[in-house]
Amino acid sequence: MLWACILFPQLAMDGVLRHRADADSPLALLAGPAQRRVLQAVNPAARAIGLRPGQSLIAAQALSQDFATADYNPVEIEHWQQLLAACAYGFSSQVSLHYPRCLLMEVHSCLSLFGPWPRFEARLREELSALGFRHRITVAPNPAAARILANVHNGLVITDADALRQALDRLPVQHLGFSREAATAFSRMGLRNLARILAQPRDSLSRRFPAEVLVQLDRLLGIRPLALDFHRPPDVFEQRIELNFDVKSHQALLFPLRRLTADLAAYLAGRDSGVQRFVLHLEHRAMADSQVQVGLLRAERDASMLFELTRDRLEQLQLPAPVLAVRLAARDLPRFAPERRQLFDERPQQSLPWEQLRERLRARLGDEAVHGLSACADHRPERAWSTQSSIPQPISPLRPGWLLAQPQPLREASLHILAGPERIESGWWDGDDVRRDYYVIQTRSGQRGWAFRELGSQGPLMLHGWFA
Amino acid sequence: MTGYAELHCLSNFSFQRGASSAKELFERAARLGYRALAITDECTLAGTVRAWQASKDAGMPLIVGSEMRVEDGPKLVLLAEARTGYQALSQLITLARRRTDKGCYRLLVEDFPASTEGLLAIWLADDDAQHAPWLQKLFAGRLWLGIELHRGTDDAGKLRKQLQLAQACDLPALACGGVHMHARGRRALQDCMTAIRHHLPVAEAGAYLFPNGERHLRRHEELAELYPPRLLAETLRIAERCTFDLGQLRYQYPHEVVPAGHSATSWLRRLVEDGARWRWPDGVPVSARSLIEHELSLIAELQYESYFLTVHDIVRWAREQHILCQGRGSAANSTVCFALSITELDPTRTGTRMLFERFLSRERNEPPDIDVDFEHERREEVIQYIFRRYGRERAALTAVVCSYHAAGAVRDVAKALGLPPDQVTALADCCGRWSDKPPSAERLAEAGFDPNNPLLRRVLVLTGELIGFPRHLSQHPGGFVISEQPLSMLVPVENAAMAGRTVIQWDKDDLDLLGLMKVDVLSLGMLSALHRCFDLIERYRGTRWTLASLPAEDPATYAMISRADTIGVFQIESRAQMVMLPRLRPKTFYDLVIQVAIIRPGPIQGDMVHPYLRRRNGTEPVNYPSEELVPVFERTLGVPLFQEQVMELAIIAAEYTPGEADELRRSMAAWKRHGGLEHHRQRLTTRMLEKGYEPAFIERIFEQIKGFGSYGFPESHAASFALLTYASSWLKCHEPAAFACALINSWPMGFYSPDQVLQDVRRHDIEVRPVDVRYSDWDCSLEPGGAVQPAIRMGLRMIRGMREGDARRIETARRQRTFVHVEDLILRAELDARARERLADAGALQGLAGNRHQARWTVAGIEPQLPLFAGQAPIQEAPPALPAPSFGEELHTDYATLGTTLGPHPLTLLREQLSTLRCRSSRQLLHIEPDRLVSVAGLVVGRQRPQTASGVTFVTLEDEFGMINVVVWRDVAERQRQVFLQSQLLRIDGHLEIADGIRHVIAGRLTDLSALLAGLDVRSRDFQ
Repeated sequence: MLWACILFPQLAMDGVLRHRADADSPLALLAGPAQRRVLQAVNPAARAIGLRPGQSLIAAQALSQDFATADYNPVEIEHWQQLLAACAYGFSSQVSLHYPRCLLMEVHSCLSLFGPWPRFEARLREELSALGFRHRITVAPNPAAARILANVHNGLVITDADALRQALDRLPVQHLGFSREAATAFSRMGLRNLARILAQPRDSLSRRFPAEVLVQLDRLLGIRPLALDFHRPPDVFEQRIELNFDVKSHQALLFPLRRLTADLAAYLAGRDSGVQRFVLHLEHRAMADSQVQVGLLRAERDASMLFELTRDRLEQLQLPAPVLAVRLAARDLPRFAPERRQLFDERPQQSLPWEQLRERLRARLGDEAVHGLSACADHRPERAWSTQSSIPQPISPLRPGWLLAQPQPLREASLHILAGPERIESGWWDGDDVRRDYYVIQTRSGQRGWAFRELGSQGPLMLHGWFA
Repeated sequence: MTGYAELHCLSNFSFQRGASSAKELFERAARLGYRALAITDECTLAGTVRAWQASKDAGMPLIVGSEMRVEDGPKLVLLAEARTGYQALSQLITLARRRTDKGCYRLLVEDFPASTEGLLAIWLADDDAQHAPWLQKLFAGRLWLGIELHRGTDDAGKLRKQLQLAQACDLPALACGGVHMHARGRRALQDCMTAIRHHLPVAEAGAYLFPNGERHLRRHEELAELYPPRLLAETLRIAERCTFDLGQLRYQYPHEVVPAGHSATSWLRRLVEDGARWRWPDGVPVSARSLIEHELSLIAELQYESYFLTVHDIVRWAREQHILCQGRGSAANSTVCFALSITELDPTRTGTRMLFERFLSRERNEPPDIDVDFEHERREEVIQYIFRRYGRERAALTAVVCSYHAAGAVRDVAKALGLPPDQVTALADCCGRWSDKPPSAERLAEAGFDPNNPLLRRVLVLTGELIGFPRHLSQHPGGFVISEQPLSMLVPVENAAMAGRTVIQWDKDDLDLLGLMKVDVLSLGMLSALHRCFDLIERYRGTRWTLASLPAEDPATYAMISRADTIGVFQIESRAQMVMLPRLRPKTFYDLVIQVAIIRPGPIQGDMVHPYLRRRNGTEPVNYPSEELVPVFERTLGVPLFQEQVMELAIIAAEYTPGEADELRRSMAAWKRHGGLEHHRQRLTTRMLEKGYEPAFIERIFEQIKGFGSYGFPESHAASFALLTYASSWLKCHEPAAFACALINSWPMGFYSPDQVLQDVRRHDIEVRPVDVRYSDWDCSLEPGGAVQPAIRMGLRMIRGMREGDARRIETARRQRTFVHVEDLILRAELDARARERLADAGALQGLAGNRHQARWTVAGIEPQLPLFAGQAPIQEAPPALPAPSFGEELHTDYATLGTTLGPHPLTLLREQLSTLRCRSSRQLLHIEPDRLVSVAGLVVGRQRPQTASGVTFVTLEDEFGMINVVVWRDVAERQRQVFLQSQLLRIDGHLEIADGIRHVIAGRLTDLSALLAGLDVRSRDFQ
């Protein structure tokens, strides 16, 4: 067995930089609570102006104002690790994320497929560089040693035990993968490298150090194996159909769409899950994909339903350019729980259940056209209604049920004022300060309305709503 | 009868609710022709004294009250009709506050006393009669139903229902305003404070915001539109009934301090006579005798005996516990206080012209003020004694009202307006640390903000309004109020954040205004150090010194001070002080008093330092603005340096009464925050012009008064401090080993680290011995050494991360028997792995286990011994093949584990390299002529940017011979920011400036040489 370790020394930074056009201007990643932001990682340009990981943001700003910042995001890092593992999985079936920020892969068994190591390595590096990740690669007869060597080497290949021992002997104790306490203890005893440590009698060492230290020593020398969890490709559905010609009409897209949704349904059935959200990508030449987002209220997997829903949405889309390929990606694959129906379904034949009606309306009219209504804590009436908020709050009975989108002047002469004024002064914080006296009025025809006059104004009353 | 009195009004002492100060409220109420104004902050009387002051200024009667919500009960506004009512209110608040953590309250129905005589109640009911019966019983004939209309959704309906309720309960109803701000214009600030209180951005706080700005002091016409006339008229009935005035409060001194059979006067005389006999065993000198008689008669006349007796009682107890203390402040430096041991400053010997009367004046109707400093580490004992002696009911700490500074205000406002945390921090950074002004447009632009952005403008306007508002109450570090009656009858008492502490709701200015007695029990690290030093000397030499017995006016001590050889000395050890010492060359005690006072922001900003210096060195004639001011300014060569001098000047040259002069002092301390110096300027100017003073002189004096600002340093404090300065200087001069030892054992304190203190003492040829478990105690100690001075043995406390308990067990075990080997040490002193590793790494096991590497190896191999094998010899192992630590390794480990090294200074090792770089040492620098170009290098031990020096940073470099003072101007620092801020070992190319014997290198170019340090060792590690 031969193990390669690919270490990503700047994983978080590279993950951020690959999205940025200005990769060469100073950038620092920030972590820590808002009161004490700390630089977690810096790119070379930032390093050049004196920024260092571990500095406080305040200290860094004292040095320079000319650097950009981004959040250090552990979730992102996990994502990149998965991506990189998936990439390595294309080369070897034994890929492990055992150590953070690096990949271990068994390479001996792949040499027959990918050619001798130098060629294999070149290909790996090419692929990683294309993805935008800096890396160091070492090869050793056991995974622990490969990992340790990657701390100080790049490109080192060791295939036999003697050479390994030679290479390890010189490594400083801080880099040998011991806990910080053990490493400190060794160095405080003057045992600054592996050779010096191994020169001590084993029982003397075992009296002084916890068992993990000896285990790590054994692993480095290959005496004891390292148990690894191997990477499994993620559970997502993603399928792409390249079209043979430039498609300009919706009609021509329906066939591939039917295939994709059918495959998705089959895949879902195979793993006994449903899909709640998926995206249909329409790929164009030299421009970003058009996307059709499909969201469902609950997990579904019925092929025809998936197709119908997607078609409804697709047909609303204006194709900005010819389509070259369609791709369906589904990530949200929850378990499928079929709805239980009563034996004798009592619903009338033609009526739709509310959920399906709502979905149908949303699909036909668009997400924007159908929404709930709820109260929002703002004294300004026009802001007291919200169409997004999902937590319904009771609406005061003294507020009209129908609020006009635009208040309009009330020209009627014989108004009867029933109540008021109620004064509302609020909203200075967003530049839209409102200062009004509101009255409940009754028109000649007996309609009750809600009208206001700006404070200090002499103008007509402005009608703002009607009571039911 | 027309008119209106507002009976429910919050000031900004209802924290994060009230959006106007009492001053603003009273001024507006007066303008609107209100008949009276009640300040009813929520369950607090913290703002009452300020409201009282504002009410007197505005000529509008104050009604003292408080708004409170009874738990599971009604919301009430309680108003003090008479003194008994005030006392009941204060006690109620105390009960409600003491029950909960700081900042909250819980008022229960059962808290109300059986009799609420003198207390009126306004019930703010919510349409529900259920609480009426007990309220009516409790406040029979003194209960009203308060109706508050704010142009809400249905005012007419509300009024109707409330009137029905009043009728149903047979209660009189009245109008009140629920006022949260003086004028409608504060609506934004009030919303903002609400959002701050709920930790929400304003945009999300809608549910908590008031729907409009009606909760202000409204005009009479507006009120008349809303309320029937009888509801308005009813408020006047209450206003007429409430005759209580804060001035009616009477304070009584505690009785304990006078034993039975004595009057306060006779007992004070007795104690002073005893003290005088003890101070002057050979007979009281005539001068002292006459001072005593004079002071005692003044004290008797002003009836301040109990105050002196109370302070004496505290000091007496402390002395019995061998706690070192020293009084300061007005009245402290009197002969009486000297006799009572409140101060060690002998007024007959100092040669100063300080007069007791200056500190205690007939005209100023205000109690004397004595602050007592105690040893830092033992002050808590004194505090607990006071609580014990007078009981928690009768003794409490004074409050400190923490107000919004610019940074805090901008932070809260920006957060409330929804700015992201990074920007909030950046905005706060744009404000100076203690600034009281919103950041300037330039500063904001510099930090990348657009000052014209509407959101930012809103932030700045609101910040400007919020600055100076009280934010919360905190505890004074040691200001005690002690009274004969339970304090809660005088002022509410609440819990402090610190467990076991109770705090009254008034701060020291409030107490001053009401004439309550206060004793400041403060702490001073130097007193701890002096105590330790006296102990060390006594143990080593058998001589016991005290502050009073140290030889006075010792020329050797003054010579040392004039050389600026003052590392570790009290007050005059900072770099600014050290630069000044060779120029001022103090020769007498009073010179020290000036020295202590002159290097302070006040005199520096008022530009008094240089005139004084020139006059003292004879390069400028000493002259006085007028003959009558000669006695005032004589002792400071015509330059005003002390607060007292400004007050005297006002009295003599501008015909202030002593009381007015005292008001001037107060204004000086507060003008930065509150303004209010303008009328003094006019008054001083007019009167002094009349008397023929030069306008230029008047202008300068006034600038100096402003310069004193919050930093004004009174002569009386300076004198007390100077005594400690002299004592510490004398000890450093004559007992340098003991002094250094005591300083380190009292660390953290002062400007210098133990490393710097030890280097200093070694430069004075005193031997310092390494930590060694065979000899070291927890503290550093003295061992027989050189001919005169003992050697210093470093204590185990020097070892980073060492615990005192471990060290004490080592001491005990060693006293029983010397340690034979490491195992013996570890087992007998019961040292765990952490302690052994610390000892081994620090080199403290050298004598038992060899070098650090061997020691660490050895301690790691020692296993807990089972009882069965107790006493067996350690397991025999083959000696390990461990390399010995290198020179560089030892140096690094010394710094990492002890913070200092006894080996060569790192720069000794680098000197050769530095010489090839043509860097001079601090020693060579002494022989270089001024204005020459020089290069120097050293470890950066200090970077100071004084507020008083614009744009200059003072950098202190240390090398093997001492310190090098470097001045870095702003442009150099900006240009080489990174090198300037990050170098550990810094090279400076520049030129040498010499003035009055002080050498500065003015930096032209900076170079980071830190890499050389790393070269001393394979590992790179922080040095400091």
